[in-house]
Amino acid sequence: MSFFGLGRPQPTSAEKVAAVEAEMKLLTEMVNRLTRACQQKCVPTDYREAELNKGESVCLDRCAAKFFDVHLKVSEQLQQESQKRGGGAGFGFGG
Amino acid sequence: MNSLPGGISPPGGRTYDPNDPNIKAMNAMMESCFGKSAIAGVMGFGMGGLFGIFMASMSYDTPFHTAGGPGGPVKPVAELPLREQLKVGFRDMGSRSYSTAKNFGKVGLLFSGIECGIEGFRAKNDLANGAAAGCLTGGILARSGGPTAVAGGCAAFAAFSAAIDVWLRQPKEE
Repeated sequence: MSFFGLGRPQPTSAEKVAAVEAEMKLLTEMVNRLTRACQQKCVPTDYREAELNKGESVCLDRCAAKFFDVHLKVSEQLQQESQKRGGGAGFGFGG
Repeated sequence: MNSLPGGISPPGGRTYDPNDPNIKAMNAMMESCFGKSAIAGVMGFGMGGLFGIFMASMSYDTPFHTAGGPGGPVKPVAELPLREQLKVGFRDMGSRSYSTAKNFGKVGLLFSGIECGIEGFRAKNDLANGAAAGCLTGGILARSGGPTAVAGGCAAFAAFSAAIDVWLRQPKEE
């Protein structure tokens, strides 16, 4: 993929599959991180009852919203940084 | 993940599918602060009515004489015919029970609504919610008695609510 920005050749089917797989991995990892972080923050471990009470539900809502907000802002910043550093050279963002 | 595949029905009942939008709306309404406080108010009203009927039977200030009309004669209740006596008795019981029911209903409504609001605001579930809600409820109910009464009501209700919460949160011995 060395023609970034110019007329790229069509990605082959294997490359498409690899791209989708990579995206799936990223998404799964993001969801796992979100779940782990918000559970640690919001759900105390005494487990007196099986259902989420109001405080925990509100906390989880806010935690998830903040996580996505942070994720979005950090991704934007990262993109800007990588564009500043040089468009084609530094394309991969951390894998 | 939420509903079992194939819809296993509970014995003797319709399938309860938690993804049904009507059920979701009903659950959401019942879990909202408004729904919780309404339910608590209604239950408080019912309990207060029963409690009031019981307390009416033990009250010592029911009048022995009927309130005579303007300038009219005053009769002792025991001299009225039986039906009239029963009517007087039931009316007295009813008014006492209704006033107790109203009080309990107000307490339930206020406390539940305020506690749910505080918990939703803090996003935490601990004893402070009940204590703060009790303080505000006691203060609001005693607002016509001046600042001392408000402070006293706040402290008393907060202590009571905290005690009940501590008792409810005790780990079950299994």
